[in-house]
Amino acid sequence: MNALRRHRALTRIWASDPGWKGWFTTVNHTDLGRMFLFVAVFFFVIGGILAMLIRAQLATPRSAFVGPDIYNQIFTMHGTIMMFLFAIPLFEGLAVYLLPKILGTRDLAFPRLTAYGFWCYVFGGSLLIVSLLAGIAPDSGWFMYPPLSSRIASPGINTDFWLLGITFVEISAICASVEITVTVLRYRAPGMSLPRMPIFAWYALVTAVMILTGFPPLILGSILLELERAFGMPFFQVEHGGDSLLWQHLFWLFGHPEVYIIFLPAAGVVSMILPVMARTTLLGYGWIVAAAVTLGVLSFGLWVHHMFTTGIPHMGLAFFSAASTLVAVPTGVQIFAWIGTIWKGSPQLKLPMMWILAFFATFVIGGLTGVMVAVVPFDWQVHDTHFIVAHLHYVLVGGFVFPMLAALYYWMPHATGRKRFFKLGETAFWLISIGFHVTFLAVHWVGLLGQRRRIHTYDEGQGWEVINLVASVGGFVTAVGFALVIVDVALNAAVAIRGSRDPWQAGTLEWAMPTPPPAYNFASLPLIESRNPLYDDPDLPVCLVRGEGYLGDPSRGRRETLTLEVASGKPAYVVIFPTNTALPILMAFVTGGIFVGMLLKLYWLVPLAALGVAAIVVRWVWSLGSKRDEGPLEVGRGLTLPLASEAADPPGWWGSLFLLLANATLFGSLLFGYAFLWTVAPNWPPPNYLEPGLVGPALVLGGTALSMAGIRLARWKLRCGGGPWLGLLLSVVGAVGTGMAAGTLLLRTSFDAHAYSATIWVIGGYVLFHAGLVGGMITFLTLRAAAGYVAGRRVGEARIVQLWIDYTAAVALLGLGVAWLPGVLT
Amino acid sequence: MKDILRISVPLTVWLAAFSAVYGLEGLVCSHRWAEAGLSLAAGRGILLAAWALAVALQTMLLLVLRSPRFASPSGFARSVSLTLAGVALVATAWTLLPVAATSLCL
Amino acid sequence: MLAGATVIFLFVMTLLVLAFSRGPAPASAQADEAREKVWIVGLGIGFSVTVLAALLTYGLVVGERLLPRPGPEVVTVRAEGRQWAWSFSYADAPGHVTEGVLHIPAGRPVDVQVTTVDVIHSFWVPQLAGKLDAIPGHVNVLRIEAWAPGDYAGVSSEYNGPGYKDHVFTVRAHDEAGWIAFLAGGER
Repeated sequence: MNALRRHRALTRIWASDPGWKGWFTTVNHTDLGRMFLFVAVFFFVIGGILAMLIRAQLATPRSAFVGPDIYNQIFTMHGTIMMFLFAIPLFEGLAVYLLPKILGTRDLAFPRLTAYGFWCYVFGGSLLIVSLLAGIAPDSGWFMYPPLSSRIASPGINTDFWLLGITFVEISAICASVEITVTVLRYRAPGMSLPRMPIFAWYALVTAVMILTGFPPLILGSILLELERAFGMPFFQVEHGGDSLLWQHLFWLFGHPEVYIIFLPAAGVVSMILPVMARTTLLGYGWIVAAAVTLGVLSFGLWVHHMFTTGIPHMGLAFFSAASTLVAVPTGVQIFAWIGTIWKGSPQLKLPMMWILAFFATFVIGGLTGVMVAVVPFDWQVHDTHFIVAHLHYVLVGGFVFPMLAALYYWMPHATGRKRFFKLGETAFWLISIGFHVTFLAVHWVGLLGQRRRIHTYDEGQGWEVINLVASVGGFVTAVGFALVIVDVALNAAVAIRGSRDPWQAGTLEWAMPTPPPAYNFASLPLIESRNPLYDDPDLPVCLVRGEGYLGDPSRGRRETLTLEVASGKPAYVVIFPTNTALPILMAFVTGGIFVGMLLKLYWLVPLAALGVAAIVVRWVWSLGSKRDEGPLEVGRGLTLPLASEAADPPGWWGSLFLLLANATLFGSLLFGYAFLWTVAPNWPPPNYLEPGLVGPALVLGGTALSMAGIRLARWKLRCGGGPWLGLLLSVVGAVGTGMAAGTLLLRTSFDAHAYSATIWVIGGYVLFHAGLVGGMITFLTLRAAAGYVAGRRVGEARIVQLWIDYTAAVALLGLGVAWLPGVLT
Repeated sequence: MKDILRISVPLTVWLAAFSAVYGLEGLVCSHRWAEAGLSLAAGRGILLAAWALAVALQTMLLLVLRSPRFASPSGFARSVSLTLAGVALVATAWTLLPVAATSLCL
Repeated sequence: MLAGATVIFLFVMTLLVLAFSRGPAPASAQADEAREKVWIVGLGIGFSVTVLAALLTYGLVVGERLLPRPGPEVVTVRAEGRQWAWSFSYADAPGHVTEGVLHIPAGRPVDVQVTTVDVIHSFWVPQLAGKLDAIPGHVNVLRIEAWAPGDYAGVSSEYNGPGYKDHVFTVRAHDEAGWIAFLAGGER
């Protein structure tokens, strides 16, 4: 088979549906990555327009451009859009597009999940835009502090749009992160052991794990606040035992890691591009990996530095002040490693490199002001002034947008296959970098003069007029620059001349494929022996196209790729990816029913939509697997590997593991909230604590033991070739028992009496939900076994169900235990 | 996967210890501490003990990751995990220093 | 702090410029190892840790000095925020409530007990102290001290809805005689 015929055969297998239909049924990561990036930029434009409205309003004192009601919506939506609808999805888009290519594989671990996440993002983001257009957008600031965002102070629907829309969008972040984590750990080219991974993969891995552990506190906070607003469960109302500080803790438990979730991918981009631009290799790869991991974890110990003025004792503040200064060390390590890299190479001043230099200048200033505000007494003065506004823009624009512009110009030839012809980018560079610094240096200054953030206008005579005008002019120059970038990209993507395959002479695998990339990425998968395979073997792309790598034979006619053992890079098993389907968009649409039902108070729609989602999930999962063992497959170069469905740890097990990590963080945040209220909230203890009695504890002990034993019995029987039926029956009975134990909590407390009983309800509801979930999973497994999908070597699904059963048992014992604890103690 | 654990455990333990000591400090300064009849000096003592325990735990982790039995077979994973264990030890000592250096509950 | 930050910024930028003006350097594993020592261990870790340790110590010492420690001289007042006004009451003059103007004695430490009846506000008199939030159900204590008699401008500095911009107040520091007169009910 020659290269062209192989290309045609692979394209037939991997291509998305032709025509407009293809947009809605594609599960291909190149398509979805581009769609993610496009939509993120679309939201960036909206957020940018809002920024211009802010600067127009603040340009002159006593401006009558908009009143406070509109202005409050504008700044709230500017922050919300830029954080949730632009920055995070842009990272997701970049990772979705790039990761399989730099890792030398053909798609992400769960292609349909990528599509589902994308559509959740589009629908959730649209909810917010609808609210903006209708003039009922959220208006309590992007961090939504109750009681200002509670029903008493914000009776309208505005806040609900935020809570529900953002939670909907966050489904996409969680999906993408599960996907990225599993992909980086398992889906790489053979031989790519951990130290041979391109550095961006490390950053993406750290970022994805951070999203999995950083977003759940906010998701929980949003759920609790929405429950309070919809049903009067008083988590944040002090007179009923709640505490508004709980929201601040949950929000910033998310919010600070968020800053690093945004910065780390950008640092990954810099670490990829900078060595290529300096014609050398990255200095201190191992150190940078260590720095990225350190940043990732340390960033979870910083959240209280957003709360230095809330009256927390000085020792408490000092912990976070110390951690906030410490986090600058790994940042410094990266900065100096990058400068050292330039130092050892021979740098070339091309456009991506120019953006990296702009990043250096801007981010270093942002980092230094960041260290300043880590000093508690200084923060007491500048907190909630424009100084903070300027600081965060230096960090986020300097630390994220500029590197992303470098990435844009670096990978544009890859995505379009064209050589940049129109040179508007250079003009845009100067407009943006100068405009940005003019704006935000001025904003720093006016902040030090005492201008508070979020005031809709100001009076003359405080010395702020000229500074604000300068800031606004700078802002408009920046906006013109960004518009020029968009024009530049559109022009070059549409009409520029064809370019060469590897225009920067880079060494990583994404440049070892034809550009623009084919649907299958690599005609055959390479064997990796170093960090820069293209430097070792410049002929690698030709070999791959000729099918000399792994899985170069398309004759089985299905979407195949292979996975590795996590650390060593030894091939493990072959995965067959699903083909094009409309299930993801359909499921995202039905998921939207849950959120719209809550939003419009059409509560009947919520369970209906949830049932719809469950039905689609069954349909989705049912299509996987096979009714017979295929045995080891020939994958080329003399290697044979088993199929994923015949492996002990199929991809679904890994996906479940990391989804459960996020889930456990959510549950942990809930327990944190419970302990926090118990310790800090003023109106505690509640009138009475729940008594455990005997039935509940007996049910939960028996139920969890039964379900855990049952699934193990079933797996043992399956391994011996017998029927799993008894074990599955015991297991489902156990799940019912666990659910009933959780039910006793709901029956014996009143959800709106006190923050205590409301919390008990949420814990009980959480356990009940999981008991129902695993009950459904066991039933599904029974049907699969009956239909012949789970037998022989194909028993991985039972192991996945066991993972969920064990998790449910753990949260049931822990959750119900702490719910009953105060009643036992008093 | 074991290498991933070797790399991630030390700092995760730091995070757990850091959060626990912060929570403990919240408890010491809450009305519940006084209601239980405990003094602030006792609180300070417990916080100091927790700090010492956390430092000891991190030192132990560092030694364990160096030991032939638990060290990674891959040179790369070994050096990264040891670096991070060192970082976690320094982070524990540094970020919990305020239990000895600042006033309690003011 | 600003000067220090400027120096560090210029230092980093100088390194960058120098990196560009140099020719290509020798490439070998040994050379890279030596570079890692200079750039990462020396500058990345050594330099950063030194600067940050100094800064943290400074911050903690200053922070400790600003704390509201009890003392015989301390005057206690209470500030209660609501959308969009402040009312103040005084431990030394029970029942005496002022709206929009907080009266304090000059030259004596004053503990302001900050709280709120509705949403979160923040009590900030830039010339006298940093800011402290007023949180429902909590009473936070801020230490302020005015060196000279006179009026000091105060603002709410936590966004609290449409009336945020004009949510301001005044702190009036009295000399000793004025303070005694105020406590006796001379001014409301």
